[in-house]
Amino acid sequence: MKKLKLNIIGLCLLLYTSCEKYLEEPSDRSFAVISKLNDLQALLDHNSMAIAPKAGEASADNYYLTDTDWESLSIEQDQQTYIWASENVFQAGESTNDWSNLYRAVFVANTVLEEIESMEKTDRNASQWNDIKGQALVLRAVSFLDAAQIWSVVYDPLTADREIGIPLRVKSDFNIPSYRADLKETYNQINHDLLSAIPLLPPEGIAKTRASKGAAYGLLARSYLWMGDYANAERYADSCLQINSELMDYNDMNQTVNNPFPSRNIEVVMERRASLGMLMAVGRAKIPQEILDLFDDSDDLRRTLFFREMADESIAFKGFYSSSALIMSGVAVDEMLLTRAECAIRQDEIEQGIDDLNRLLEKRWKTDRYIPIVVTDKQEALDKVLLERRKQLLFRGHRWMDIKRLNREGAGIDLKRRLKGKEYRLTANSSRFALPLPDDLLQYYPD
Amino acid sequence: MKRLLQRYLHIFQLFAVIIPASGQQDVKGLVYGKGDGRPIAGATVSLRYGDQQVITGQDGLFTFVLPVNQKEILISHIAYDQKLLSVSTTDTSLLRIGLHEKTALIEEIQVSTGYQTLPRERATGSYSHVDENTFNRQVGSDVISRLETTVSGFAVDRSTSAGNRIQIRGINTLSPSMMGPLVVVDNFPYDGDIDNINPNDVESITVLKDAPAASIWGARAANGVIVITTKKGRFNRPLTLDFHSNVRIGNKPDLSYIQQISSDDFIDVEQFLFEQNYFNSQINSSNRPALSPVVELLIKRQTAAPEEIQTIDGQIERYRTQDVRNEFRQHMYRHSLDRQHALQLGGGSETMNWRATLGADNNISTLEQRADRYNIRLSNSYKPFSTLTLNSNIAYTYRKNQNGKKGYGEVGKNNQYIYPYARFVDDDGRALSIDRDVRSVWAESLAGGNLLDWKYYPAEDDRHVLNRRSLDDIVLNLGVNYRLLKGLELDFKYLFERQLENGENRYGEQSAMARNIVNRFSQIEQDQSVKRIIPEGAILYLSDGRQQANNLRLQANFERSWHRHELYALLGGELRRTTYRGGTHGLYGFNDKTLTFANIDYTREYPVLNGSVTQQITNYDGRSETRNNFVSYFANMSYTYAGRYTLSGSVRRDASNLFGLQTNDQWNPFWSAGLGWKLSEEAFFKNDDVPYLNLRATYGASGNINPSMVAVTTIAYIGTNSYTMGPIANINNYYDSELRWEQTRMFNLALDFRTKNSRLSGTVDFFFKKGRDIFGPALLDYTGGIGTTKTKNVAGTAGKGADVDLKGIAARSRNFEWSVNLNLAMVRDRVASYNLSNKRGSNFIGTTSSVNISGVEGRPVYSVYSYKWAGLDPQTGDPRGYIDGKVSNNYAQLTGVATQLEDLIYHGPANPTLYGALGNMLTYKGLSLDFRFVYKFGHYFRRQSINYQQLFSNWMGHSDFSRRWQSPGDEEWTDVPALVYPTAANKNAFYAGSEVLVEKADHIRIQYINLNYNLGSILSNKGTVIKSLALYVNAHNLGTIWTANKKGIDPDHYFGLFRTVPPPIYTLGLRVGL
Repeated sequence: MKKLKLNIIGLCLLLYTSCEKYLEEPSDRSFAVISKLNDLQALLDHNSMAIAPKAGEASADNYYLTDTDWESLSIEQDQQTYIWASENVFQAGESTNDWSNLYRAVFVANTVLEEIESMEKTDRNASQWNDIKGQALVLRAVSFLDAAQIWSVVYDPLTADREIGIPLRVKSDFNIPSYRADLKETYNQINHDLLSAIPLLPPEGIAKTRASKGAAYGLLARSYLWMGDYANAERYADSCLQINSELMDYNDMNQTVNNPFPSRNIEVVMERRASLGMLMAVGRAKIPQEILDLFDDSDDLRRTLFFREMADESIAFKGFYSSSALIMSGVAVDEMLLTRAECAIRQDEIEQGIDDLNRLLEKRWKTDRYIPIVVTDKQEALDKVLLERRKQLLFRGHRWMDIKRLNREGAGIDLKRRLKGKEYRLTANSSRFALPLPDDLLQYYPD
Repeated sequence: MKRLLQRYLHIFQLFAVIIPASGQQDVKGLVYGKGDGRPIAGATVSLRYGDQQVITGQDGLFTFVLPVNQKEILISHIAYDQKLLSVSTTDTSLLRIGLHEKTALIEEIQVSTGYQTLPRERATGSYSHVDENTFNRQVGSDVISRLETTVSGFAVDRSTSAGNRIQIRGINTLSPSMMGPLVVVDNFPYDGDIDNINPNDVESITVLKDAPAASIWGARAANGVIVITTKKGRFNRPLTLDFHSNVRIGNKPDLSYIQQISSDDFIDVEQFLFEQNYFNSQINSSNRPALSPVVELLIKRQTAAPEEIQTIDGQIERYRTQDVRNEFRQHMYRHSLDRQHALQLGGGSETMNWRATLGADNNISTLEQRADRYNIRLSNSYKPFSTLTLNSNIAYTYRKNQNGKKGYGEVGKNNQYIYPYARFVDDDGRALSIDRDVRSVWAESLAGGNLLDWKYYPAEDDRHVLNRRSLDDIVLNLGVNYRLLKGLELDFKYLFERQLENGENRYGEQSAMARNIVNRFSQIEQDQSVKRIIPEGAILYLSDGRQQANNLRLQANFERSWHRHELYALLGGELRRTTYRGGTHGLYGFNDKTLTFANIDYTREYPVLNGSVTQQITNYDGRSETRNNFVSYFANMSYTYAGRYTLSGSVRRDASNLFGLQTNDQWNPFWSAGLGWKLSEEAFFKNDDVPYLNLRATYGASGNINPSMVAVTTIAYIGTNSYTMGPIANINNYYDSELRWEQTRMFNLALDFRTKNSRLSGTVDFFFKKGRDIFGPALLDYTGGIGTTKTKNVAGTAGKGADVDLKGIAARSRNFEWSVNLNLAMVRDRVASYNLSNKRGSNFIGTTSSVNISGVEGRPVYSVYSYKWAGLDPQTGDPRGYIDGKVSNNYAQLTGVATQLEDLIYHGPANPTLYGALGNMLTYKGLSLDFRFVYKFGHYFRRQSINYQQLFSNWMGHSDFSRRWQSPGDEEWTDVPALVYPTAANKNAFYAGSEVLVEKADHIRIQYINLNYNLGSILSNKGTVIKSLALYVNAHNLGTIWTANKKGIDPDHYFGLFRTVPPPIYTLGLRVGL
């Protein structure tokens, strides 16, 4: 009897003391509270962090739809997007769209930036610690940069502090209302994040899906190019090219296949991919004749590597830098060469710019058939480089911003869509070049 | 004592036989139960006037010496209604005396809370009790489905989701995952699959409905508890053997219930779309989507010669007369056949008892899916001393499920919908193909025909597919009960459960699924040869899981009565740990003869044939492991004074490793208190017409938390990044400093009564509930990065209602009885407060696949709203609504910002507010007829109609199409919009959510009819070994007998698209007892 009582008391004590341990065991082995640098790296390595928006390319002039193509779009918002409608371009309540994808990445980046501060940096882990922080900064910057491309007008130094930018979220707490910054703040934030990341990052990442020093330089070049700060754009494009400069020789590519270019090829510095969606799906999106006409020289390999003829004899694009029908909009060597060339010419370093152009085109034409361009006139040189930019960076996520920034410089590019006898127009420098926000969110952003 | 008395009486009888006194008479008789025909042992046979009495033996027989001038004898037994009998002095044959089981045994019913068994009379809480008899009047191989018609306040929600959620007394929370009740089997929460339990093993079920439920069982019990007690052996029982067997045959489902567009109309639409060049983008698409046969013919027709055109047109005309439902009827569906056998053996001596049951269920569904279940259960009790009882209970279940054919809604595009003129088998009995994954015309043109056949053969594909799931479940219960002192017992209980599950999905080499994947990744070389990345062969998906539970409970029970006081108390603690470990595995190119398989490089991307993307081959390998730990302390007491006044209370504290990281936050107290007053015992009340009247009330507080929510940011590792080769993770829970427990308070007031002779008895409960800090989706600006909603403590709820459970005897005569049982539940739940940040109308409409939780103050949790309807446009036949009071056809605005909550029409709740069942039982001698109606009133549902977007792109049409607007004037008699191309999603969404499609859901159905014939009493008369024998026939799923909607729609079987009503099932059964 006594023994029994003792046993009971013993059991109760045991229950009590082991309770805390027992209750603190994680309930799911695959769940973890963020505690290690590797946890943060695993978050950044998630494939969805590299998803780029498609609305810019979808709104640009690299393709067109026939009436029946347009009518057969099963999602009305795709039809709306095509005609640059000012509302209803996002499906209601849709939780995976361009906006949510970008801001989801911003949230993860912010979480990583907050969590990493609570982790001790030691001699042993310093390089990983720095690397992760740098990656998170680049992820936030590139997400903001993509957002600014789509939902705000072009940066103009004279008006940037009066133009509406994008919501800048720099804290992970989702309860904090979003703050929609002006355009100047927007680009300041982007450039600041990228500049802070550069000293932290290794020159090249272990995979092209991760940000690297080269990627940060490349994005800075892109940002400054969009701002019209050509000196800085040239400087950072050059820094990027110091690390990554190899070009593919298009002569080595198989012209007969549907996706001639491998993904993460040597030109890719940092990979980001956008889907074509229903609008730009191969078979639906058709390449306008005026673009095809740019590739009239039979020695230009891009004529056969970029395009294919469909069953109905229309021409579709196939030159994606991703071995799939996906838009690779990340930083790449060809882009950097074209940016450096353009910026050099704009700053009167014409020869230097033309050299870059020739260096690129030599690898785009049949071997030994390319005759290097020789130009001395600045405007002519600029026209040449912009023409090659248009040709080389088809479906690479650049055209939408290029139209906007070139119009700022007075290019006067008007966009037109023809459907069922009706013409839709987007005139140069229209405020509608800043695409509409999701209607669900208008209540949060009344202006 | 009883034995002694019996022995004494036997001696007395002996004397009586030897020395028959003159004028005295021997009366021989058999006492049996009218319900089951079994002899009743221990019934008292006594003189009406006088104190002479005998007790019936195990065989129910008695011999009684009737004194002179005495003719009336009284037969009584604790569980049966007393019977007064006038004995004829001339008749010396055996008297056969059937006793009715006491109906509404309010006093005698023992309810089990899982922690204690107590007389219903002493409980102040609302416990519904279902005894074995009532339970067994329904057939079917699962336990839960039998409760819907027998427990008041118990409902299966078939209106708001396809999940058939159980609701006890309405809804307390706004999170669907937190709405279900807790199931307890033999004293412990049951973590296995509830379908493992053989209903033949069930002795009784108690449903705990009010506040004490949660204060006894903790957080998981906030929505009620279902306590299942299995049959155990009994002390002092001779060996008994029972055998039960039944065969159930079910009809094929009635496919004419499906409102499918006619083939004629569908082909007209296809021709129309073809003329609009609608299919061009599909024809040109690099995904090569499958096209219907008519579209293929129309493509061919464009370039065909005149004579060919005639053949093509003839073919199309033939298609118009075909109906795919006939194909399903003939080649897919069959009659279902279920067989159930159960054998039970038991016995007991003074110190030991045992019971063994064996069960076998073999079910073949209307789609030839097989489900087999075998149960073995062995329970034992041993009482070495009067103070010590040892119990053990071992149950083993083996289940096996196997796939069958595909039913309506499982064949075609996305394995869902098919053009209505499809045929599965030709006139010669050969299986026909359909294009499902790609256009076969295109596939056959590739690589010189070297690809695998890329077509799908609905009638025979199931022969190449084997989806099997097997489950082994073992439950071990051990119990030790030791009486320490008089009135004080120590109770130790332990449960171990292990459930092993194995799944195998084998898509054979010839299956459409395997051929599709092999083809998709095939690479066509320059010379047209085919290089297969995934080699030919079967694709095998395997899954395994091991669920294990350990429960340990230590409890002290105290029970003492002195003078006019009675006190019962229990105090205890419990530890509980459940673990799950499981995984999935996939093999490609599997050869089941050699057990070899292909090595797959999951990291590489390959271009796919039908598409312009490169893809990785899906890797199915994965592991998961979870463990949940719980610690609980609880106490429970009840005190009764003078047999009239009862005061009860219970408290419990729970903690688990789920609720967060801080131990302090994990503990949550639950409590309840109750009062009982047996009015019928009061001198001022004493009334022979109402011998029992009891008032009781409970009040208590409980909490609930969603186990998937923790108060910290957590990440989940989900796989490997194929570029970095490192692990990848996502954030699956977001830190929310405001996370709190849901708080629910419930008040229950009830009245139990019984009139003289149990003519009418019943229980009426009124309850009031209030919830605070209820979890609900809070709308977010998804710029925050975590989606459009986040579950937060946002709402308050309130509910009230009543449960009525009445049993009465409508007519009774010597051989005949008609008893009636009425269950009635009234529930009104409403959202008391909710901080809604977005009141856009479309958020409250829902879709055909869900009813949204509306979260509108003052309205039910699930409400049916609709768009105001302005009729069809007389010019175009387009639907129209109102914006700012003006007729509009701007659908983006109508379904967007222009329609706010206050612009919508509120119809009513989606769940019934008044529901229950009405049972009738007619007994004539050994024959009894039992039938039950189920009714649901006060709710609404959304009818489906034509959705042109689905019609165009998914082969999915509704028969309303034939009633569409076609020319001006049609708007006078129809609300079905015109066929217009192109169509817009918003337009279809507006029509689908409009008021013209909302219907009242009220209906009455006849749930089952049961005819039982008891031969037992006849047999035992002849001295055979068979003690009882009953035969029964049963028909259930008999459908509705009245619906408020006059469109032939059964609102309980309408949720989701193209559902059919469960077909009637007929059962023939036999029960034998030895």
